[in-house]
Order: sequence, then C-alpha cells, then structure tokens
Amino acid sequence: MSYKIPMGPYHPALEEPYKLDLICEGETVQDAKLHIGFNFRGIEHLAETRNYIQVIALMERVCGICSNIHTLTLCQAMEGLTGLTPPPRALYIRTIMAELERLHSHVLWAGIAAKLMGFKTMFMTCFELREKVMDVLQAISGNRVNYSMNRIGGVNRDIDDPNAILKMVEALELEMARTVIPIFTTSSTARSRCAGIGVLTTEKAVSCGVVGPVARASGLAQDMRRAAPYAAYREMEFDVPVQPDGDVRARLLVRALEIMESCKILRQALAKLPPGEIHTEGEKFSFMTGTATSRVEAPRGEVMYSVSWKEGSRNPARVHVRTPTFAVMPAIRWMVVGQRLADTPLIQASIDPCYSCTDR
Amino acid sequence: MTATMTPLEAISEKLGTTEPWVETGSVHWLSPADLKVRNLAKAMNELLARFITITAYQLPGEQGFRLEYHWDLDGQLLGFPFLLVGNSPEVAKIESIYDLCEAVDWIEREIHEGFGIHFSGRAYEPLLLRQGDTMGVNLRDAVATSKETK
Repeated sequence: MSYKIPMGPYHPALEEPYKLDLICEGETVQDAKLHIGFNFRGIEHLAETRNYIQVIALMERVCGICSNIHTLTLCQAMEGLTGLTPPPRALYIRTIMAELERLHSHVLWAGIAAKLMGFKTMFMTCFELREKVMDVLQAISGNRVNYSMNRIGGVNRDIDDPNAILKMVEALELEMARTVIPIFTTSSTARSRCAGIGVLTTEKAVSCGVVGPVARASGLAQDMRRAAPYAAYREMEFDVPVQPDGDVRARLLVRALEIMESCKILRQALAKLPPGEIHTEGEKFSFMTGTATSRVEAPRGEVMYSVSWKEGSRNPARVHVRTPTFAVMPAIRWMVVGQRLADTPLIQASIDPCYSCTDR
Repeated sequence: MTATMTPLEAISEKLGTTEPWVETGSVHWLSPADLKVRNLAKAMNELLARFITITAYQLPGEQGFRLEYHWDLDGQLLGFPFLLVGNSPEVAKIESIYDLCEAVDWIEREIHEGFGIHFSGRAYEPLLLRQGDTMGVNLRDAVATSKETK
C-alpha cells in the first residue's frame, strides 16, 4: 500500500520553507512533488520601483549566502546598458570576492551535509572554518553577509594589503587540505551515507537543465567561469572538477575539489592584483534604452540577470533573475525516486538548495 | 550540418531560416517572423543546447508581451524573442514546450502566475501562488504601484 508523507514546509532537512510530498511504498520513495512559494517576496516587481542605486542593495538580498554574486551579475548587466567598463583592479577584486563567497558557501554546505550524515564533529569543524572565511570577507568589505562591494563601473572598497589576505587564504587552504578534504573524500561515514544515494544520471541532468556543482557531479563540465569568462577569470588558471557518478558522494567530491580550486584562484588573483582605480572615477553615465543580460557562476551554479531600461528613467523597466536553485530544485524529484525515506533529507541537502533565491 | 558550419549557422539551418543573427551585449539573437516555439525547442534539443530561462516583458498599453527564450550552446548565450499581441487571456498565450524540454516547467508556471500568460498544451499546478489565487498579480502593470521613485 502506498502512502503520502508531506515533508515540509518546515522539516528536518533544512530550516527553510518548501514542501516535498513523498509517495512511499514501505520505506521506498515511489514519487515526489515539490511545492515552493511559501515566502515568495516579489523582488522582481519591487526592483521596478527602485532606482539604479537602490536596486543594487535590493538584489543583494535575493540570497543570504551568495549576496555578492547577485550584485555582481546585476552590475555587469547595468554596465552593459551604460557603457561603463570597470578598471582592471576592480575586476580582480570582483574575482576575489566571488571566490571567497564560493569558499564560504561550500564550507557552509559541507557543514550542513555533515550534520545530516550524523557527523557532528565535522559540522563544527566546517563552521569554524567558515568563520575564518567570513573574517576575510569582513576584513575586505567591513561586512559579514551583505558586502556592498559592487557598484556600476567597479567596486566600493579596495584591498589595501593583499599579502595579509593571502596569509589568511593560505591558512584556510592548509586547514581545508588537512581536515575537510581528506574526511569528505576518504572517511567511511561519508562514503556509506553518500555513495550510490540520490543519483541524477547525466541524461536526466541534461534534460532538467541543472547547473553548477550538481551538473558537474553528473558528468557535465559546465562552468561559466570557463565557458563565458567574466571579471578576471580569463587570466586565472584553474580546473573544473567533474565527477561521473551523479550521486550525493559525487556532489560532495565536486564541492570539496572546488574549495581547493577557489584557493588556487584566490592566490593567483591576490598575487597579480593590478594597481590603479577601483571604479570609473567621476565619469558621468546614463542608461540607454534596451535589455542587457549577464551570467555568472555562483557557488550553486549559473545565475542569469536580464535587465531592461528606458532611457531617461531612474528605475529599471524589468529585472529578471534566474537563480541556480530554481533550475536545480525540480531535479530532486528524480533523485529521491527509488531511495529510502531516511535518505531524502540528505539528498535534498546535496543540491545545496537556496529557498531564498527560489522565493525571490 | 556540415563540418565547416558554425553552431549559429547550424541552428539557422535546422530552423530553415536565412535571417541574420544579431549580437547585442553577450547575447546572439535570432528572430525570424515565422518561428514556432516548438520547432525551436526541437532544434535546440537536437543540437544539445541547454535551456536557461524565459524572460517575460509586458509591453506598453495593450501591445501585449515579449517572451525571450534563452539557451546556452557551448557557452554562447542564444536569445529568441516571441511577441504576444494583446493583453487579454484569449491572445496572451503561446504553445508550451514542456513536453519537449523538461527544464521549462517551473519558469512556464512562474510566468503564467506572474503575468497571466497561458502556455497551451500543458496542465498547471500552482507554483508560487496558492490554489485559487488570481493570475497575473505579481508582474502585470495593471496592478503595479507607481514605478518611479520620487
């Protein structure tokens, strides 16, 4: 006999509102339906009522983890409409901020995944490391969550002492290489809880149009930093980790390897940080009528902004945001089918879902 | 498709159009007047392009809507605009491609709820709104408040 288990909107997997109706046969999940929109905020509509300065602050609040990525993508689109080109130093600082944010996001996720695996020591280790990343972000921007770094034509704050930041990054890299990476890649707990669980095949990943680490863990080598470089990524050398298995362990491995790649990018960007201005100084600008699109590789995958403007207006005519979780979350349905009910919280967490982004 | 063709030329050939591609910003646009959205989806599937999103815009007055479909082909961002003339539910509609491209499911549902545009040939379940709520309340101008900041 099949029966339905409503998981959510408030549930043990993650403390954010979305609902998964699981149709089970005994302990095995036969089908699932997802429901979102419990905290839908109407930010796209709100953006049409904000001017070009206010809209940056608004879009920074689309996501609590990758707030910097949203302002970066928005500013890149607005630069397309104004013709402003950020100076080289600003592009490097944007790259540094984006990679620090990726580190912050991946380590936070690693901690939550460890908790759901029943590996609470690892949870505490990850959160301690995350604090260190946030210390670096605070040292640069003065803020711990919404950094207010991006502006049209550059960034708001400079990195005065790259060597000091480099030392913090090296300490972080050492700690991650010593603790987080070996435990996630070799521990029997991680393997037994994650291997073969929540598989998303390459074919299904293509069909669902998933992005980011979830796509890369299903054998798809897609990364905007490589495919369509922005900021200073064209000048960075890094690998795009890809795993073929499509299970929770593959998602774990991809993110663990990406932590090391982020550190590699950070070291390069800090070492090569060019001198000069951090934004277009004193240059007047105006918006031209039209639509501009920008794409960025956020920690969870590709973010895309389409921004439309009418000449002479202070406000955007339309801002459309396609967040990575919006693209990835529907695939949960295919990951949980055939799995044990007890594994579904970890499977859901394995996509690193952001409900804030989804209910933007 | 021949070995010397560029990906954009291959798309034009699949769609049977000689219309030129226009690059603005980072997007390659193709907008032949007789393009059918389902033919487009089939061509994109054959070329293994990745669907990204649909962006809907409401045009001034009663002019209707513009829907921009976006796919990614090896890092190239492709855009295909479709015009829906008129705001009423009878004309604000376009064929769904959900059966051809699973990835459009949520964005079609979101646009349906946000703009009241109907994607024909598919069933809807509420995505953002609750059962029985009014369509088109989030993003249609008719219910929007003043758009200019003082």
